[in-house]
Amino acid sequence: MTRYAMVMDQRRCIGCQSCTVACRTWNELPMDIIYNPVVTEGVLGVFPHVHQTFTPLICMHCDNPPCTICCPCKASQQDPDGIVWVDETKCMGCKVCVNSCPYGARDVNAAEGFVRKCTFCKDRVRDGEQPYCVATCHQKARVFGDLDDPQSDVSKLVNSLQANRIFTELGTDPQVYYLPDLGGVK
Amino acid sequence: MSHAMHANKLTKHYWVWPIAWYLFLGGLGGGILFVAGVLEVVYHVGHVLALGTFVGVALLGIGSFLLIFELGQPKVFLRVFLSGTAIIKYGATMLVLAMLFGFVFFLFYLPPNWNLFYYGWTWMRDLSAVAMLVLGLGIMVYTGVLLSTMKSKPFWNTPLLPVLFTVSALSTATALLGVLAGQWPTAEYAEALAQKASQFIGSPYASLEQVEEVVHMLHLADSMLVLVEVVVLLIYVLGMRAAGNVTAKAVALEWVSGSKAVFFWVGMVCLGTLLPFFLYLAGGGAAAWAAPLLVLGGGLLLRFMVVYSDRRCAIPGEERYYRRLPQGDEKFFRPWKAPY
Repeated sequence: MTRYAMVMDQRRCIGCQSCTVACRTWNELPMDIIYNPVVTEGVLGVFPHVHQTFTPLICMHCDNPPCTICCPCKASQQDPDGIVWVDETKCMGCKVCVNSCPYGARDVNAAEGFVRKCTFCKDRVRDGEQPYCVATCHQKARVFGDLDDPQSDVSKLVNSLQANRIFTELGTDPQVYYLPDLGGVK
Repeated sequence: MSHAMHANKLTKHYWVWPIAWYLFLGGLGGGILFVAGVLEVVYHVGHVLALGTFVGVALLGIGSFLLIFELGQPKVFLRVFLSGTAIIKYGATMLVLAMLFGFVFFLFYLPPNWNLFYYGWTWMRDLSAVAMLVLGLGIMVYTGVLLSTMKSKPFWNTPLLPVLFTVSALSTATALLGVLAGQWPTAEYAEALAQKASQFIGSPYASLEQVEEVVHMLHLADSMLVLVEVVVLLIYVLGMRAAGNVTAKAVALEWVSGSKAVFFWVGMVCLGTLLPFFLYLAGGGAAAWAAPLLVLGGGLLLRFMVVYSDRRCAIPGEERYYRRLPQGDEKFFRPWKAPY
């Protein structure tokens, strides 16, 4: 089996937002929709030991996604490899999944009418390539791979370091892991 | 929309006025069918509530239209019935069935000389009344459950919300039924109706005494319901203010002492629930017209306030990110296009 997941190495991310732009290019996004913003936390710490943390956000492709069970149209769905995606021809645009996502990963454009979200670039991934945001990241801060393969980079990173996840208390079991930037400590 | 309009995704409302109106009309229509079903099953006074039932069905129809109108791709709306897990699917199914049974129930009070169908099918009327009761209750509860299951919205994600919506649906429905009770069929018309089909329609006709009795019952019930409603409302909002998470507290603060405080304290607590209670006690024209109008207005205001309180928990850093995106940037883009 395959279980795709992503690791965000916040020690490496410099907040350049190349991934945001790359995603926009590959997925031909409308101007008002962003799949993967990079948000800045900080300034943290006490002077002179101050730092900022950059958090690249993306659809968490949860193991227990709240956005698929609430879809009445069976348009919002999850594939066996964990990728959550929306079939835009089946989506009636009721926006219940947009409201149910705790990560704000979904958005809808009034001109298009259907809900859009990150697909882990499944058109690229299933051809054996990396998602476009991962391929673009020149800092190698994004790592993508198969969690079920113990030899993959994501497996090693998730299992060897303190890997955080966002809003685990909601029971969504998100599959994007964050390696925290510990105030510049390597 | 040719130019980009970045909305702040943390504060953007994906559900707006059609959903608020729908939640109000759905609760009101479902509540009307529920109350009419109960009164018919227990007291056999369906003829007093015939017009109310029709209005309830019509309100559900308007609500359903608003739902479809609000969709991004209305042409695929029939897919709403496909999923087995979605709350919306069950809501839509109950809406359709409730409208169907409510309309069948109403047909029994049309002039018998229209000969639409055989009036001896009283089992069909009784079945419709029971179905209205069950489906009406389902619709009232479901509108609140739909919002309260959203783990992403701290202010909605509480079991008190379905309770509040159900009580509000009941109070608004009772108020409107009280206004419409006995308006049609009128006593004279109902007498003719009864003579024509006396062997089939259980109760003889809507005599003035019977109408008064039902209206009195509805007013009494509604005066109790608005009191329950204000208690649930205050527990819900003040509880969120005291014990919600950061986001829920911020939203509740808006209700209690922020930008929505006037609507909350004056509109909902005073005008929407407490004043109607005293007007019902006063009786007369105040109870017949003013109180139901205020209760209906309070119910509508409640749905609007709740629908626009859809704040999501921010991931650290998210607030600043969305605040800094260009918003309404047409002026920014035009100079780049115009010279060429």
